Amino acid sequence: MEVRGPIVKFGVLEKLLNLARANSLWPMTFGLACCAIEMMATTAARFDPARFGAEVFRPSPRQCDFMIVSGTITKKIAPVVRTLYEQMAAPKWVIAYGNCAISGGPFIFEGQYNVIEGVDKVIPVDVYVPGCPPRPEALLEAIMKLEEKLTGWRRFPGPERRW
Amino acid sequence: MVAEDLIKALEGGDLSIEEVPYQQRGYWFDIKAPKDRIVEVAEAIDEKGYYIEDILCVDYVDRLEVLYHFNHWEDPRRLSVRVEVAPSEPELPSIWRVYPGAAWHEREVHEFFGLRFKDHPNLAYLFLHEGIDFYPMRKERVEVPEEDRQLLNYLPAAAEEDTFWINMGPQHPSTHGVLRLILKMRGEYIEQAEPVLGYMHRMQEKMAEVRTYQQYYPNTARLDYVGPLAFSLCFVGAMERLCELEVPERAQYIRTITLELNRISSHLLWLGTFLLDLGATTPYFFAFDDREQILDLLEGLTGSRLTFSYYRIGGLYEDLNDGFLEGVKRFVERMWKRFEIYDDLVTGNIIFVKRTKDVGVIPKEVARRYGATGPTLRGSGVPFDIRQAEPYAAYGDLQPEVVVGERGDSYDRYLVRLEEMKRSLRVLEEALEKVPEGPYKLEKVPKKPVPGDVYFATESPRGEVGIYIVSDGSDKPYRLKWRSPCFSNLATFTEVVKGQLIADAVATLGSLDLVIPEMDR
Amino acid sequence: MRRWLREQFDRYFGSDPVRLLFALGGLFFATLVVLALLYWVVGKVVTAGLEAWGWDLVRLLLGLLGVMVVVFGNALFLVWAERKVAGHMQIRIGPKEVGPYGLLQSIADSVKLLAKEIITPRFVDRPLYLLAPLLIFVPCLVAMVVIPFDARLQVRDINVGIVMILAFSSLTVLAIFMAGWGSVNKYSLIGGVRSISQSIAYEIPMLLSILPVVMMARSLSLKEVVKAQSPYWFVLVQPVAFLIYFVCAVAETNRTPFDLPEAESELVAGYHTEYSGMRFSLFFLAEYTNIFIVCALATTFFLGGYKGPVLPGVVWFFLKTYALIFVIMWFRWTFPRVRFDQLLNFSWKFLIPLAMANLLVTGGLLKL
Repeated sequence: MEVRGPIVKFGVLEKLLNLARANSLWPMTFGLACCAIEMMATTAARFDPARFGAEVFRPSPRQCDFMIVSGTITKKIAPVVRTLYEQMAAPKWVIAYGNCAISGGPFIFEGQYNVIEGVDKVIPVDVYVPGCPPRPEALLEAIMKLEEKLTGWRRFPGPERRW
Repeated sequence: MVAEDLIKALEGGDLSIEEVPYQQRGYWFDIKAPKDRIVEVAEAIDEKGYYIEDILCVDYVDRLEVLYHFNHWEDPRRLSVRVEVAPSEPELPSIWRVYPGAAWHEREVHEFFGLRFKDHPNLAYLFLHEGIDFYPMRKERVEVPEEDRQLLNYLPAAAEEDTFWINMGPQHPSTHGVLRLILKMRGEYIEQAEPVLGYMHRMQEKMAEVRTYQQYYPNTARLDYVGPLAFSLCFVGAMERLCELEVPERAQYIRTITLELNRISSHLLWLGTFLLDLGATTPYFFAFDDREQILDLLEGLTGSRLTFSYYRIGGLYEDLNDGFLEGVKRFVERMWKRFEIYDDLVTGNIIFVKRTKDVGVIPKEVARRYGATGPTLRGSGVPFDIRQAEPYAAYGDLQPEVVVGERGDSYDRYLVRLEEMKRSLRVLEEALEKVPEGPYKLEKVPKKPVPGDVYFATESPRGEVGIYIVSDGSDKPYRLKWRSPCFSNLATFTEVVKGQLIADAVATLGSLDLVIPEMDR
Repeated sequence: MRRWLREQFDRYFGSDPVRLLFALGGLFFATLVVLALLYWVVGKVVTAGLEAWGWDLVRLLLGLLGVMVVVFGNALFLVWAERKVAGHMQIRIGPKEVGPYGLLQSIADSVKLLAKEIITPRFVDRPLYLLAPLLIFVPCLVAMVVIPFDARLQVRDINVGIVMILAFSSLTVLAIFMAGWGSVNKYSLIGGVRSISQSIAYEIPMLLSILPVVMMARSLSLKEVVKAQSPYWFVLVQPVAFLIYFVCAVAETNRTPFDLPEAESELVAGYHTEYSGMRFSLFFLAEYTNIFIVCALATTFFLGGYKGPVLPGVVWFFLKTYALIFVIMWFRWTFPRVRFDQLLNFSWKFLIPLAMANLLVTGGLLKL
């Protein structure tokens, strides 16, 4: 998400920059709960986001491009999420990975006092990945969708285009 | 034996001690004590060498009942000490001077139920966030009184000369999860470590009170997502014990096979992330590769990669599919050869050895007083394993040998886990031969269990998992309490890390194998 | 008034594509101006006194240009190579999609970092914070001037080249500490302090392991050192010195297993936490250039520099240097991190006595 839109926009330059950004998206792991393990499994050898340039997991939020929020957001961790999001350098994006990050997941019940129903109540989200936990291929697809949001075209044909 | 000596020592006065049938209740001795004698009872129990398992509270509306569970390494017959407290005077003496591990359990009871513990060193909130103004686990809404509200905020005291506070924040680049440690540093040495928990508190225990037993079951896998089957088995086993159901043999054997596979995959994940903490990035990939083989097998069987919902009360969800046993056999053969890689790359690596030898030594007494279990305890030389002490599933027939370390440092805990993986492979080989034919679940399972309380313990890859269920005859639990192994293991960390460097603290924390949602429930 | 000016500035130049565009435009015009000046100077020189020292000046300028090309090309190549090597050692392939074999990955990374928002936190110590990424580059460029890539491909051969390189490499330490102190952050400070102790501890054995080479070549100039390796390379007579130098090189460039100041999973951060965008990429550029320089120096001192049978000298030089760089990368993906006090103990209590013993033995043998 852009923090402030540019006043002077050069179409070709923006396209080139977006292409570069899409091919080198550096994630920040915000692994909170079960989905964090699936995120770790995605970075492992079998499903490898390094092929797409998304391998460098920087520890510091100032050097990352997008944040994968994987896990339940509780009231105690919500200010931390907000701080981390604000520390990231624009342009930045957020992937809400897993049911808990989308809408609280299986931990919503009548009279609940600690879970925030979805991370988009705290920070703006770009891609939602449903599942409990979603498969690693779903995370790779989310990265593809983010790239599509940036550049406007997909790297591989998606399932809807196969026939 | 030890329990009989204890009973002789405690007899008399207003204590009532009765022996309880283990097969139905899950513990052996039920001691009812008045609240002013609890410290005395705890001292007598400590003298006999018991370790503290859990402290929990149940809110029967007219009274609050606090239960203390103790267990012994050599004579594993569980004791349950009950103390009744009237809600009008919610005060109880604290036993932390006898058992330092009780401090955290008492903090938890305080913030959820409103019981105050006299002479507690630090009764600040452990799990709940600032601004909560009621006690969540009480059956009716009870507000936090004014004089207690200053306990809601916990801030460390101002730093003395030459020390500064540093925060290993909830966001870690290494994958501990959301644990926050506030460390008081003198230069590079740590003087005091204060973990702040509760960032992943997902109200598992409160949710159990509004869900039926069948509805609650998937939650058990989300507690410890790295080794979920042990927790699932704990819940299912507790219900089977309460309703006195006889699970078919085939189901027990398949449960054992999946449990051991889960143990191996959990230890592999621990191996990868432990070395990632220390700076070596390559073993992580090898470990995850092996883990993917296990997940393929389990996914074919249960349908999910991480949070399996495979057991049901009375057996399994579905029988084995065709390729499972063959696949496990092939996996076992492959895995035996993979240990060479880990030995070459890690065990013999001098940098790794120097980082972990004599780092984070947990003496036996500390482990006992805090209630540490699992490889954390076995690394210190105590051969205690729930699979041997209280056999469940098919472990009665397939005795797994217990792996013991020597000194209790991080290197020993690493070796213990590596060896445990090998023993699990042997158990798997044995179990594969012996799987009997037959039904895989019971036909009729009662929807509503009989009223009563029950305790069930299993051995997860991290330690002893326990569940305590109070049922009032309806289809929802009245109270459900998890005994989390990582909670007690982390409590030893605060004592062990004093005087170490930060690098050592990281190595120690990694070797304890923590999974945070299990602690925060 | 100042605030209004600042707001107007932020309004027009706040967004980074615009800033980038103006920077590129400015660079373009500046390059044009410089080239014009150059053309005029060269023209004057050529017409005035070419035979005297004109060609020398041209050669100097071409050499500097070549050095810049090597520095940037090396950084781009190493970014890609590191990820590929890491991938293959970790039973996966590295970047694959971004261009054939992932070769355009470094370019995508650089362009992305150029176009990132540059955040300067309000609380930092401005002069230190802003100067650190620039200052960390200076020693690299200075060292590149004296390295002999071939018999006649050396920008300037200074007769005290070795001393100059070692003196300037201490500036790296200063820059890292400026980064750590300037970003007012406990973790960066700890990272910076650790890096100072580490660098000081490992500079001494590095110096002590180069001295036998100097003694055998009887000169401090790098050209002479390479020439003195005619019958046999120095690594065959000084294996201990080579190993000590290599270990110190890994420690000086803050690579695993000695990368405590940089990529700590212990304290979340390192000295470059508070840097984002182009400033951050300058740190990385400097790190990769440092790796190239220490390996190039190892080649020059011990492995015979550009000498080799059939192929031209430059090719041999790069082959040897990149072989050593591959070994450094191999270390990174194999070993865990060394604990800090173990690191210092290793240097002060083991490497320095060993290097001194080696020096004495060499001196004694040379006398005989």
